[in-house]
Amino acid sequence: MLGKITSLLQLNIKLEWQQRQSYFSILIYVLSTVYLTFLVFNGTMSVETWNSFFWVIFIFAAVQAAYRSFHHEAEQRFLLYFGMVSPQVLILGKIVYNFLYLTLVGLFTTLLFIFFLGQNMTSPGAFIFILVLAALGFSSILTFVAGISAKAGNNPALPTILSIPLLYPQIITLSRVSQRALTGFSWEINAPLLLVLSMIALVCFLLSFLLFPYLWRD
Amino acid sequence: MKRHWWKALGVFLIIISIVFGLLGEVQALPILNETIRVLYYHVPMWFSMVALMLGSLIFSILHLRQGSPKSDLIANEAAKTGFLLATLGLITGSIWARFTWGAFWVNDPKLNGTAVTMLIYLAYFVLRNSVEDPQKKGRLAGVYNIFAFVMMIVFIGILPRMTDSLHPGNGGNPGFNKYDLDSNMRPVFYSAVVGWILMGVWITNLRVRVKNLIANA
Repeated sequence: MLGKITSLLQLNIKLEWQQRQSYFSILIYVLSTVYLTFLVFNGTMSVETWNSFFWVIFIFAAVQAAYRSFHHEAEQRFLLYFGMVSPQVLILGKIVYNFLYLTLVGLFTTLLFIFFLGQNMTSPGAFIFILVLAALGFSSILTFVAGISAKAGNNPALPTILSIPLLYPQIITLSRVSQRALTGFSWEINAPLLLVLSMIALVCFLLSFLLFPYLWRD
Repeated sequence: MKRHWWKALGVFLIIISIVFGLLGEVQALPILNETIRVLYYHVPMWFSMVALMLGSLIFSILHLRQGSPKSDLIANEAAKTGFLLATLGLITGSIWARFTWGAFWVNDPKLNGTAVTMLIYLAYFVLRNSVEDPQKKGRLAGVYNIFAFVMMIVFIGILPRMTDSLHPGNGGNPGFNKYDLDSNMRPVFYSAVVGWILMGVWITNLRVRVKNLIANA
């Protein structure tokens, strides 16, 4: 099973790399929105505002990025997958792929934020750890919702409508801990919140994993 | 009569909660005073909403396992009734908040939980409307419903416990939790909860029957 997942992951990366413009479009999406924030602010930004804008932009970028995970699958390729791999392997492969992808998008967004809006993070390590946790939780929900929207047809608003309310619990907790990572972070005090985040990520992962076969059945 | 007694019971319990809710004795707590009576009309909405969403979840799971169109119909209608009750809870809560906290809407974990729950179920209805094929619609909606319910529980059941709330009974506010809920108030409150749950089930039942009649006509 592990071998199948890695080969599916490689296949995904290869296929996506053939359509590199999708990566670039996400990068430009992030770049233009971050620059928009810079223009709108036109001055120094408080830590709270920095933090809120960061999460809003990252979430929309993540939804955009993950939406594509089943978008490219033409109906024929759906059939091909259907015969070749079990739905569990498919969803795992896609979640791992999206996890890596979202982590990179998150790091890129962070770099752009630091470049344009400036920030002396007191605990960059904690911030990156929180970002990885976010990518972990987001990837299961967003991959699953991308599967639902792909099956539901081409309603471009659907992925956003379906995924954002499901992400709220994580977003609220994430923005709270990440703000502490910007101003001064203590691992001991924030351990319960980090645990909650990991538990939510785990629950989302289990739900996606268990429910995907029902979604996939045709 | 054998099949319909619960409807009469529901009506009876709601009438009791209205009559004794307005006439009964309540404790005069600071800040709350007489507005504590909103307990009988606001909180049961959330209890019955969760009960109906739970029913919706159960029928969604049944639908995924067995694939009968009827369970999908029930799941959808139960979610709609739950949404109606949530709307009523929101309205009663906002009016109460206006006079107790001074604003219709504040940033409070419980209010955020409500908003999220309603957005999640709105997304559920949007999803249902964007799929034509009834088989596919049932499956996608069922799968999303399970996700929605779990996220709702995380949001209204777990996260508020991690932070303080403005709500009575949390964060040093006087309130009606199990320690200081007046023994006079308890019977009225519980009859309102059970009454509204039965009423919600009845509304769902009627809507399912109407939909069935339309489908068969």
